[in-house]
Amino acid sequence: MIVCVAVVGHQNNPLYIQSFTEADDALKLHHIVHCSLDVVDERVNNPRKSGPTLNDTFLGLLYPTENYKVYGYLTNTKVKFILVTTDLDVRDADVRNFFRRFHSAYVDAVSNPFHVPGKKITSRTFAERVSTIVKSFGLSSAG
Amino acid sequence: MIGVGKIKQYTNVLDKPLSKGKQEVSLSAFAFLFSEMVQYNQTQVDNIAELERRLEDAGYAVGARVLELLCHREKGNRRETRLLGILSFVHSTVWKVLFGKALEIGCGGTLVRRVLMEESDRCQVADSLEKGTEHEDEYMISEKELLVNRFISIPKDMGTFNCGAFVAGIVRGVLDSAGFPAVVTAHFVPVEGQLRPRTTILIKFAEEVLRREARLG
Repeated sequence: MIVCVAVVGHQNNPLYIQSFTEADDALKLHHIVHCSLDVVDERVNNPRKSGPTLNDTFLGLLYPTENYKVYGYLTNTKVKFILVTTDLDVRDADVRNFFRRFHSAYVDAVSNPFHVPGKKITSRTFAERVSTIVKSFGLSSAG
Repeated sequence: MIGVGKIKQYTNVLDKPLSKGKQEVSLSAFAFLFSEMVQYNQTQVDNIAELERRLEDAGYAVGARVLELLCHREKGNRRETRLLGILSFVHSTVWKVLFGKALEIGCGGTLVRRVLMEESDRCQVADSLEKGTEHEDEYMISEKELLVNRFISIPKDMGTFNCGAFVAGIVRGVLDSAGFPAVVTAHFVPVEGQLRPRTTILIKFAEEVLRREARLG
């Protein structure tokens, strides 16, 4: 169950935050996303030689908290995608697939000539595509 | 993968997904659009410097988006953190996607290998990347004729105005979004034996980029 997705710009400014559950406090999810940015910076600046290769886009599991798991993905322009989920048994391939489609939707949203880089993403189409991807993530990992 | 599923015919070109690469646009359509852009900007400004700045800003917007798009399209693309890495990315991938040409790399003014353009019958030196000798932070991409300048002739009273400012803006957008702030300008360089001068894109990196590069070793 994906709880929240977020797009964070290269100056760590939030570009898009969307939560998909009514139960939890939105502020708490914002806080979790914010904390995970530190982990992203740490991964980027001190690459583990034995781990994923330098400059890979998918950062993997950033850190597990109480009942959430946080995954990260870094694009070429230092834009970060953060995914917060409550699933206990998430396959790595599923998350990569999710981020790939999310990246595709993001590129489409940014290619809009009326989108100002650095400002929040206000496109409704982007919001719809993201909710579609989130729903299909839940289905595919359950099956 | 052959025979997997049906290829969907998109009636509306706006519905085509962005990730189907290798789209080609007709040169005349692009030249028309570009000429309209230059003419429109000309009516808005009073002097040449402002016109050049506007073209460059337009190119900057394109460059920022092109970087995102290419990062997504290229399978297994890595994030460039080194200077030479991002420069070779600009001249090979970006140039190939935007202008359909391949580049060559040159060091210190000498050309290492030449790449032939498939479209033209006669041999042409396509492009080159060179490191400037005066300053450590200057790099040059030179091209025989920029695609955007092909159908443009500058009147005498406009002096040194170069519509390549648009391409300079694209390069600046790509470098800026990748984390390498730079000042990019386009210049005409007259060459003996040719009627039209070569165009050179001059890239001057900011101080922090050089410091970071020195720190990375």
